[in-house]
Amino acid sequence: MLANNSDHFFSPPMVAPLYTTDSGLLFHAGKILIVTVGLPARGKTHISRALERYLRWMGVKTEVVSLGDYRRKTLGGAQRLPSDYFTLGEKTDETKALRMKVSNGCEDLIWEFFTGGGQVVIYDANNGTRAARQALATKFDKAGIHVIMLESLCDNQEIIERNIRSVKISSPDYRSWDPDKAVEDYYGRIRDHEKYYEPVEETTWPFIRIINASWRKDHGQQHSRLPSIPDSFLPHEHPQPIPNNILRSSASGQSLIEHSYKADSDLSPAGWEYAERLKDFVQERRAKQGLLDRKLVIWTSTRRRAHHTAWPFISAAQASATPSSPPVSPTSPLTMTTDLPTDRSAPPLNVKVMEKPQMAEINPGVWDGLSPEQARKYYPSDWEGFTKDPYTFRAPRAESYHDLGVRIEPILIELEREREDLLIIGHASVIRCLLAYLIGLPASEIPAIEIARGDLLEVVPASYGVHSTAFHFWDGPGRLGEGGAEGRDESNFYENYAEDTRGKTLRRIVPVQVIESVLPPTTERST
Amino acid sequence: MAATNPSSKVGQDLTRAADVLQTMQAHGDLSHPIPLSPNIPPAAFLASGLQGSKLKQFDESTNVSRKGSQAPTPPQSVKGIGKKVAKPDYSESKIVLAMVGLPARGKSYLSNKLMIYLKWLEYDVKVFNVGQLRRTRARQRAQESGVKEDHSAIFFSQDNAEGTLSRDRLAEDSLEMLIKWLKDGGNVGIHDATNSTRARRAKIEARVAKEPEMMLIFLESLCDDPAVIAANIALKVSSGDPDYKDLHPEKAKADFIRRIHEYEKVYETITEPHLSYLRITNVGKEVTVSRINGYLSSRIAFYLMNLHLNPRSIYLSRHGESQYNVEGKLGGDSLLSPRGMEYARALPALIKDNVGDAQLTVWTSTLRRTIQTAELLDFTKLTWKSLDELDAGVCDGMTYEEIEQAYPDDFANRDEDKFNYRYRGGESYRDVVVRLEPVIMELERQENILIIGHQAILRCLYAYFHHLSQDDLPYIKIPLHTVIKLTPKAYGCDEERYALPITAVDTHRPKPKVAQPVVQPSTTRQYFTEPSSI
Repeated sequence: MLANNSDHFFSPPMVAPLYTTDSGLLFHAGKILIVTVGLPARGKTHISRALERYLRWMGVKTEVVSLGDYRRKTLGGAQRLPSDYFTLGEKTDETKALRMKVSNGCEDLIWEFFTGGGQVVIYDANNGTRAARQALATKFDKAGIHVIMLESLCDNQEIIERNIRSVKISSPDYRSWDPDKAVEDYYGRIRDHEKYYEPVEETTWPFIRIINASWRKDHGQQHSRLPSIPDSFLPHEHPQPIPNNILRSSASGQSLIEHSYKADSDLSPAGWEYAERLKDFVQERRAKQGLLDRKLVIWTSTRRRAHHTAWPFISAAQASATPSSPPVSPTSPLTMTTDLPTDRSAPPLNVKVMEKPQMAEINPGVWDGLSPEQARKYYPSDWEGFTKDPYTFRAPRAESYHDLGVRIEPILIELEREREDLLIIGHASVIRCLLAYLIGLPASEIPAIEIARGDLLEVVPASYGVHSTAFHFWDGPGRLGEGGAEGRDESNFYENYAEDTRGKTLRRIVPVQVIESVLPPTTERST
Repeated sequence: MAATNPSSKVGQDLTRAADVLQTMQAHGDLSHPIPLSPNIPPAAFLASGLQGSKLKQFDESTNVSRKGSQAPTPPQSVKGIGKKVAKPDYSESKIVLAMVGLPARGKSYLSNKLMIYLKWLEYDVKVFNVGQLRRTRARQRAQESGVKEDHSAIFFSQDNAEGTLSRDRLAEDSLEMLIKWLKDGGNVGIHDATNSTRARRAKIEARVAKEPEMMLIFLESLCDDPAVIAANIALKVSSGDPDYKDLHPEKAKADFIRRIHEYEKVYETITEPHLSYLRITNVGKEVTVSRINGYLSSRIAFYLMNLHLNPRSIYLSRHGESQYNVEGKLGGDSLLSPRGMEYARALPALIKDNVGDAQLTVWTSTLRRTIQTAELLDFTKLTWKSLDELDAGVCDGMTYEEIEQAYPDDFANRDEDKFNYRYRGGESYRDVVVRLEPVIMELERQENILIIGHQAILRCLYAYFHHLSQDDLPYIKIPLHTVIKLTPKAYGCDEERYALPITAVDTHRPKPKVAQPVVQPSTTRQYFTEPSSI
C-alpha cells in the first residue's frame, strides 16, 4: 500500500463520540435546567444531590443551585429574617425586596454556571406557583436551554416528618432550637406554602413527578427511579491477586501472556488463599453485625479470577447446606442458594453469585500484554495522550475510563436497586468507577483513585452521601503491586493498565488511602 | 487527535513493526515465522503457523499455578479458546404487569414492545390478552355449537349483566393463567385487559397479594390525542380484527367507538395511592411513576418512558469489506479493502435517495472500518464504544480455519451453541446483547438513525427489531455491502434491503448440519391465543 490513493489510508477520526460534542457537552443533549417543584420537606434536596452525583459521575458538568443555601449564605439563618419571610401572604416591602434579591441571586448563579461551560443545573427551590415557574422557564428557554420540571409530591405524613426530623431541623435555621419546637415551626412554614402551592399541571414543559420519595430508603415507600442508596451492608472488594505478580519472574514468554487481558488467567495459589481469607473475613464481619442470617448477593465480573474469588463462598454455602456432597462447578448453575436448615449453630450461608459481563476490567486494547516500556516505545503518541488525560484517552481498540463508565452505568442503576447485602468482587478499574460514583467524585478523578489489594471497602449510606470504611484483611504477594511501594518507578503508571492498584495520574489525589503494610490485619480505619 | 497525514502514519507503523521484530528477535521469539502487520501488537495470540502454541503454553502455565492451590475443590478450569456460559438466573424476578386503559389506547402496542425488549434480554415474558382469550373461546364454542356469539358493543355495555359477568370471568381466568405461568418459571406476565375500574384493580391486587414472591405493577395508557386514538381505531378496524370480520369498515368503526364509549362510562384512572403504577399519557408525552421498586420494574419504567410513535426508519449497514474480511480473519481493526472503499463511496447516494431531506444521524463503532465507511456521509456522525464488534478474545486475528485446526473441540462447541459461547478473554453473543441494551434504549428515543456496524452487533439489533429468538440470532444473514432499512410499525417492523452491486466476501457461516432458521418478520397482530393456553 503506497500513498498514492489517499482513500486507502485512514484519516484520523472525524467522528464525534456519542457522548461528547464539539462544545464539550456530553450526550448531545444540550444544556438543561431542571427546576425542582415541591413543598418543603419533600426530598427535593436529596433528589437534586443524587442526580448531581450521578450526572457528575457520567462526566456531565452539573451543579445544584440551592435557594435555601444561597439565602442562608447571603442573608443568614431564619432568626435574622423578618417574621413574614416564610409566610406567603401579604408581605412588607422589605421582605419582598429580600426575597427578590435571593431569587435573582440564584438566577445569576445559574447563568454563570451555564456560561462557564456547565451543562446541567438543578435549581433546588420550592417553585410552588405556576406563574413563577413559567416566568423562570421562559427566560431560560429563550436562551436555548431545555427546561424540565421535577416535582416531588408526598402525601405520606411519616415520610414528611422523617424528612423534617432528620434533615431540616439540623439546618442552621434551627440551630439551638428545641427539636419539637423546630418541627412545629417547620410545619408552620409548610402550611403557609400549602395555601399557595399549585402542583405542576401545565404541560408547557417536560416534567417529572416523583411521588413519595424519601431521602432514606424505606422498603415500602421507595418510588423514585432516581438514585437511592441501599441501606444494606454494601462492601466493596478489590481485585484479586493475579498470577503475573507471582509468576512474572519466570519465563518471559509466559509472563507476557499471564498478565494479558485476553488470557483471562486463573487465580494463583496465593489468589486462592486470598479468596478463602476474604470469605472468612466477610463472614466474621457479618457475624459481628448480626447479619449472618441475611442473604448475601455477590457480583463478580465474568473473568475467571473474579468469579473464582467468590468460589469459597459457594463451597461454604454448599457445605453448610449438605455437608457431605462435594460442590459442583460454579458455572452450572451460576447460583447456589441454600436456605435449608442445618443442625449447626451458625445459620447456613445463603449466597447468590451473579456474573456481570459489564464488570470486566478496562480493555487495554493494543496495549494488552505490553509492559509500560513497550507501550511507550511502540505507541509513543498514544502514550503521551494517555498520560495527559487518563480519563478520556482511548488507546487503539482500548477503552477509556469514560468508556468504562458508560459500560458500567447499568450496573449502578442495578446497584441502587439491590435489596440484599451486596459484595462486589471487581477489578481495580471497575471498583474505581463504582467508588467514585458512591462517594461522589467527579469523573475526571476516577483514574486517580488508589485501591489497595487486600482491603475490603464497606460503603453504607448516610444522609446525603455514603460512609466508607476500609478493612485490611490480607497481606500477601501483590498487595502493593510488584516490589512494594518503594520499589516502583514513580513515572510508571501503566503497569497492568486494567488491574493496577495505583491511581493513574501524575497529580496524586488520594481519596481512599492505601493502607500501610505495617498495619496489623483487620484494623478498622475510617476514610 | 491532531491530524496525521497518511504517509507519516504508515511511517510510524513501519517503525513500530521493525521495533517489534527486533525485540522479538532479541527474545528468541522468532523461531516461528510471525505474520506482521501494523495492527498486530507483539502480544497477540496468533495461531497462524504456531498452531495455538501460545495458548497451549498458557494452559500449561496455569496448571503450574493450580498445583499449589489451597482451594479444597477448585472450580473447573477452562482450556483452549472459550466455553459455553449458562443463562443468568432470573428466577427471582416475578412481575404481574396489569394494563389499564380504554380500548384503542395502545395497550397491546405497549405490552408487545415491552415483551420484545425483555425477551431480547432473556427474561421470560408472556402477554395474556383477554381479548384474544375471548375470541379464541368464542370461536371454539362457535365451532362446537354452530352459533356465533354477539361481540359487538352491546356485549361490552355495563348494562349487559351477562356480558359483564362473562367479561369478568375472562379477565379472572386469564389472570389465573398468568399466575400459574409465573409459578412455572415465567418472569413477567402481562395482563392485557382494560382493567378500567377501581373494583377490578382491587380484585387483581387481592389475588396477587396471595403470591408473596410476585410483584404487581399497573401500567396505565392514557390518551387524549384524537389523532392517536383515530389512528389506533383505524388500525383496529383495518387490520383484520375478527370481531369485525364481516362488517363494513364504517360500521365496524362505529361499533368500535360505541364499545369505547361503554368503557368510558365506567372508566376510572388510577388514583389509588397505594398501588405501584406507571401512567403513560399520549405514548410517552407524560409519564407518571409511582411506587416502582426493584431493578427490573425500574428498567421497565425507563424503557416505556423512551418510546415514541413518530414515524422513522432505522438503517443498518455493515462496514465495507475490510482487509481482515478478505483474509478471512476475525476481529482486528483493519482498514477497508478496495472494494470496501468502493462501498463507502457509493453509500452516500443510496442513503440520500432514501432519506431525502429528512434528518438522519449516523452511528458508528470506534473501529476504523466503520468510521472509514461513514466518512463520506454528510450527516452528523457519532461513535459508540458499545457498537464495537464482538470481542473474539484470544481468537482475534485468527481465521476460522486456524481455530478449527488448533482447537477442533472448541470450534465444534461454538458451532453447537453460538449464542452462549464466550471466547476466552472475549465475549459471547449474550455479552453483546447486554452491552447493547443502552443502545436499544437510545434507539427507541431517537428518530432516523443509520448504524454502520459489524456483523454480530447488527445481528443482535436486528433480532430485537424483528423479535427473533436467541437460537436464531447468531445465524441472521447480514451481508456486506447491503443497507437494511427497518421501519417500526405497530406490531413489528417493515423491512427493505438495498444490496449494492459491489462484490464482497461472504462472512456468513451457516449452522452446520441444521436447517437454516426461516426468518419471518411479522408485522401483524395476533388475535387468538395458542391452543395450549385456552
